[in-house]
Amino acid sequence: MAADHAHAHALGHAPADKKPISQGVLAMVLFLGSEAMLFASLFTAYFMVRYNVAQNHWPPLNSSGEPFELPKVGTGVNTAFLVFSSFTVWWAEHRLKHGDRKGLERGLLVTMLLGLTFLVIQINEYVHLGFTPQDQAFGSTFYTLTGFHGLHVFVGLVLLLICYLRVKRARDFTPTFSTPLVAASLYWHFVDVVWVALYILVYLV
Amino acid sequence: MATYQPTHAHTGHHHVHGPTRSAWDYWKRAIVGVITGVVLGFIITFLARWLFGFDGLWASQVYWSVCATLAGLGFIIGIGCFDWWWDYLRGRKVDYEDHSLHGARSIGDYFRPNTDHKVIGIQYLVLTFGMFIVGGILAELVRLELAFPGQTIADGETYNGFFSGHATVMIFGFVIPVFGGLANYILPIMIGAKDMAFPRLNALSFWLLVPAGVMLGLAQFVGAFSAGWTAYTPLALQGTTGQTLFEIAVQFAGASSIATALNFLVTVMTMRAPGMTVWRMPLFVWAQSVTAGLVVFGTPFIAGSQFMTWFDRVMGTNFFNVGGGGDVLMYQHVFWFYSHPAVYIMMLPGFGIISDVISTFARKPLFGYRALAFSTVAIAVLGFGVWAHHMFVSGMPGWLRFPMMIMTIVIAVPTGVKVFSWLGTMWGGKIHLKTPMLWAMGFVFTFVIGGLSGVFLGTLPADIQLTDTYYVVAHIHYVFFGGSVFTIFAGLYYWFPKMTGRMYNERLGQIHFWLTFVGFNATFFPMHWLGAVGMPRRVADYDERFADLNLFISIASLGMVIGTAIFFYNAINSWIRGPKAPWNPWRGRSLEWLVSSPPSLFNFDAVPQVVGGPYQYGLPGARHAVIFAGEDLGGGELTEVDRRTMLVVANESVGSQALTDRVRQLAASGVWRFTFLMPVEDGNNRAAERRLQSALSVLAAEGIDANGSVVSGDPLSAIRTAVADDDPQQILLVTQPRGASPWLDRDMVDRVRKASNRAVTHMVISGDDARTPTRSSAVQTIAVVANDAMGEGLATAVQERADGGPVSAVVLCPLSLDGPGWTDDAESVRDAAAERARAVIASLQEAGIPARGEVIDGDPAEAARIARDSYGATSVLVGTIAGRGDADIVEAVTAAAQPVPVEHVFVEAAPPAL
Repeated sequence: MAADHAHAHALGHAPADKKPISQGVLAMVLFLGSEAMLFASLFTAYFMVRYNVAQNHWPPLNSSGEPFELPKVGTGVNTAFLVFSSFTVWWAEHRLKHGDRKGLERGLLVTMLLGLTFLVIQINEYVHLGFTPQDQAFGSTFYTLTGFHGLHVFVGLVLLLICYLRVKRARDFTPTFSTPLVAASLYWHFVDVVWVALYILVYLV
Repeated sequence: MATYQPTHAHTGHHHVHGPTRSAWDYWKRAIVGVITGVVLGFIITFLARWLFGFDGLWASQVYWSVCATLAGLGFIIGIGCFDWWWDYLRGRKVDYEDHSLHGARSIGDYFRPNTDHKVIGIQYLVLTFGMFIVGGILAELVRLELAFPGQTIADGETYNGFFSGHATVMIFGFVIPVFGGLANYILPIMIGAKDMAFPRLNALSFWLLVPAGVMLGLAQFVGAFSAGWTAYTPLALQGTTGQTLFEIAVQFAGASSIATALNFLVTVMTMRAPGMTVWRMPLFVWAQSVTAGLVVFGTPFIAGSQFMTWFDRVMGTNFFNVGGGGDVLMYQHVFWFYSHPAVYIMMLPGFGIISDVISTFARKPLFGYRALAFSTVAIAVLGFGVWAHHMFVSGMPGWLRFPMMIMTIVIAVPTGVKVFSWLGTMWGGKIHLKTPMLWAMGFVFTFVIGGLSGVFLGTLPADIQLTDTYYVVAHIHYVFFGGSVFTIFAGLYYWFPKMTGRMYNERLGQIHFWLTFVGFNATFFPMHWLGAVGMPRRVADYDERFADLNLFISIASLGMVIGTAIFFYNAINSWIRGPKAPWNPWRGRSLEWLVSSPPSLFNFDAVPQVVGGPYQYGLPGARHAVIFAGEDLGGGELTEVDRRTMLVVANESVGSQALTDRVRQLAASGVWRFTFLMPVEDGNNRAAERRLQSALSVLAAEGIDANGSVVSGDPLSAIRTAVADDDPQQILLVTQPRGASPWLDRDMVDRVRKASNRAVTHMVISGDDARTPTRSSAVQTIAVVANDAMGEGLATAVQERADGGPVSAVVLCPLSLDGPGWTDDAESVRDAAAERARAVIASLQEAGIPARGEVIDGDPAEAARIARDSYGATSVLVGTIAGRGDADIVEAVTAAAQPVPVEHVFVEAAPPAL
């Protein structure tokens, strides 16, 4: 037993009944802490521009004298898609616990489709916004925050896709060993939470 | 058999198969990856600009950005960091415990992705010390420019490139990652783990650093970045291509740091050996874990700051452009929110190293272990709340100044706790002034000065006067060089035997220390003065009145250059041909000293059991951990292991065939650790140390765990101390026969028995046997062949060679009597030759080199043959008297001694007349 303890490594391939949390999941939790700090640095920039420089005259006026406008409603609907996808990935994991691999597959597929929908709508929003990253600090912070988030959605999609391929091709994941799946879904939840915070702080407030 | 060999053919569950590809195969792919990255970057940028109708297809910074980023990624993918994951995502069957890239069997294995934490540690150390040279050259260019007022070698812009490059390379390329290297090698062993938690991620972390280093180097040639390592906006927005590369390099280095830090945290959290509670962890483990926490939560802020600067430069965003509603001061807030914790990222691991080194070399339990651990955490937490003390005069909101000043000064409290704990550890300790300890004590000295000037700078009124002057330069070097770099050298010398399996040269190590210590203080102490009288930093030219001191500083800095050159010579030379290191040269307690040097492929052949704290030196019966051989190796129970340690008290016989044979027998019968104690009463420690080194090398080569020390003074009190220190179960007392032994005259056996309360075995080794050196491949046998050149000159030549590793000597005096035959005269000639040989033998014995010899009837060539065939000599020294033209003799000896190498030594002075 002791020997197992000392060399149980590599992607958290550890006996699930002996450890409260696998190494892979622990690493993902810590990594998400790091990611949270990355977004915190970008939010710091956003708030300093908004409160220090613009004195909360927000949104500021664009070059034609009108305040910048963000599509609150359309993005709200898009937010709902992303939030819903958190539940579907949770459902997928839940199906695996019951040994339902078909359900796991379907859950992952639906989650990825929702994530992709979010990205497509977001890109469409970029095209029709009418301002660019070069349009004042407002445009810079807006595009950087949403762009970094979009990049994270993309990475989350890749992680989910890898999990999906492992399920399809390698018959991976069992109720007792699903560390990569748990890690990917944690990442997905994180991307979701960041978006909700971003939507509230950048679009609504 | 209860002792176990350092098995490199591991018998456990790990599936290891040799790599099928050579390092060059990986590098070919890496080159293809880089070229693909550059070409792809160019095409993507071109197409994007063309399709989306940007004004003008050419924008150099955009092309540089995309191409450099993709080239860096192409390198990492090409070198093979993602091979396993590529198989994984294709749905291939993968082995989670895949060890095909683990371990190094040849030099080439160090040049490809390797998942062995020990190999990665070495890779880190070699790469970062390469960066240290680059940064050092840039520093000397800075000092060259500043040696005289006015323009000396470079204009202002080039000079700005020098100091920016120096700081950036030293900080991001040396100090931060070099601790990652030391920790990579040592930390998993310290906690009793076989590797890091994520070996493949570990390899990726290292290879991410390579593109970062290349980009920082390349930047010097494409318009060096010149905004300082802090890259303040708006200065950084105006820079050239080098600035863009700087920003990308920082992202790569940052990603590398974060990945390593995650790995350390998970490793320490989940892979500690049984019994290794957090309060039994060595402080280096504590420090590295806290540092990893800082990296994980701090580094994203510098990533953020550099992303924004990069976007402003390349995409024309307005983060820092006041005209576009941006906030130029925001850069400094975001940057320092990382970069102040970053100074602790560069310092905390060093604190850990120093704690380990001081306790080991003072032979005392660490004073205030828990206080040291808590103060590490306190510094890390407080470190996130002081960033704006770098910005007192930046025009930030005034209300932020006072709290930041108070927080800054509060940090002096946990730091002071540390300094007093180290002093308390040394107080009343038995301090061994070996090189690591010198660096540690030098560190305490310089770091206190750096810490005090830090309090000055943290104080608002003083800072307003001193900021942006040479006072700041003095302070930062006292904490980064006198602080971090001193600890790096302390750790490097401390663990050099463990990492390379070879001992470094102690004398060169001490010369390196003193040159650096004196050169460092002479260089940086006067800068306090320069700053206080108003010399601004970061300028290429200065007022005439600062000229004398600046010239002095530039000259003094050469002391560090020479010291560093000696260090590199010592490190490389010792690594290649230093004497074999024993398992535990410093008699340390933590786990890395309980395994062979270097450790076997998976560190531990059996799981260690931690039973106590790591610093309980001198406490009877205390021990940190025990490792007992697995059942398959015939190992016994934990209780049995306790009886199997032995203190060997001996002097002249150490290194002799007779004693080594006895130790071998004892090892085979179950004694698993030998501690040699050599009490020296006449004060000739050098000779005793040489004999000890030789004996330990022989035993280390055979996988027997042995360590030892030479102690001056009364043998009895030395034995008492050693028993209290190491708690051996038995004592082996080796003496000369009764009558020839002063120890026996003083009834030593009984007195040792009474004083130690241990089982004492008495062993007699007579004079001749004590002088017969051990035959072992670890000991070089030098044959000295000379007739009338035989004398002190040759004895000195042998001693010089003995400094490089254990040797024994055979002194052969060839006497070809081709004259009139056997006469009375021949007899006296022969006696004189024998007398000369005896004198050399005695002189070598005196120096601690086992020596024998005889007078040979025959010519020098015959003597060389006898040296090779009967004495197994591994090299031959031929001595002739200078200016006598004995070239034919040397030639004949060289031919006769084949294949043993022959060296020729000229002896200057003629030997005394008969």
